[in-house]
Amino acid sequence: MVRTKYILIALILIAIGIGVSLTLFQSEEKRVKKQFHLLSKGVSKEPGENIFTMDQKIKKISSLFDESCEINIPAHSVSGRLSRDEITGYAARGRLHFTQLNLKFYDFNIAFTQERGASVHLTARLTGKTTTGENVEEAHELDCLLKRIEKRWLFDRIEVVEVLKK
Amino acid sequence: MAINKGTRQFFLPSLTPAFLIRAGCVALLAYLIFGHLLTPFRIKGHSMEPTYQNGEFNFCWRIRYLFSTPKRGDVVVIRFTGKRVTLLKRVVALEGEEVQFRDGRLFINGNELNEPYIHTPYHWTLSPRKVEPNSVYVVGDNRSGLMQNHFFGQASLPRILGGPLW
Repeated sequence: MVRTKYILIALILIAIGIGVSLTLFQSEEKRVKKQFHLLSKGVSKEPGENIFTMDQKIKKISSLFDESCEINIPAHSVSGRLSRDEITGYAARGRLHFTQLNLKFYDFNIAFTQERGASVHLTARLTGKTTTGENVEEAHELDCLLKRIEKRWLFDRIEVVEVLKK
Repeated sequence: MAINKGTRQFFLPSLTPAFLIRAGCVALLAYLIFGHLLTPFRIKGHSMEPTYQNGEFNFCWRIRYLFSTPKRGDVVVIRFTGKRVTLLKRVVALEGEEVQFRDGRLFINGNELNEPYIHTPYHWTLSPRKVEPNSVYVVGDNRSGLMQNHFFGQASLPRILGGPLW
């Protein structure tokens, strides 16, 4: 019984040690995931959002992208290499159509490339309510490329993968 | 109030090696069953109404198509990148078949398909197209509203996770 207690204490201490080291030494994978988390926070919108919050969020979205980014979202007629300003313009106009918006990312599949890049395959789920009261619920598979520039991971390509081909 | 020994032992078991082994086996079994055989999911959306309602709970029977391929009329679970976000759709055409919608009627190889699961009239029109090899054509049971707002089309067989348990 005493031995079991010591084993349990040792296991708990090991678990705490692993937890602390994982928190202190963030892996590159975590840093990449964090960019998606920040994008999700920037795009999401609560009902009654004020202009100040909106401005902060648009600036936050802008800081996540490289000087230009290749975006291919056929469902929303967005395609081509867009500048950072164009992307924030699209994001700001898009958010205006919604009273409530929530963007979440799932099932990350991250692979690091030799050219200081991270290829990320994941699922994005967008839910919200338009200004006309219509409920929106969309899910898309995304293929993204992030580049490491000055110790930061920035979006360089976002492409929607066609899951169901009409 | 005195709690009898049996009840106390059930709710506050002693951490004996035998108990830890039993608990480990239960956890492993639960992981194998609910992680790989019967994946639980909740339906969010109205695309399969009236067959499946928004908010319903179900399980994806993962080995349903282990030794067979989906048949016409089967309801299948389709994955995006991983298993967290999936689609629930009905198979209407198989590989090599020609699919066409003509003013709210579905034609497979030129013959109208009897669809007893459709309860509301719809007016979709889609030019004929052939289902590619190793794919099936899937559509939701609820076809009200504009065709452009619906998510349907060809899904490759590796994307099909299984079928709903009921």
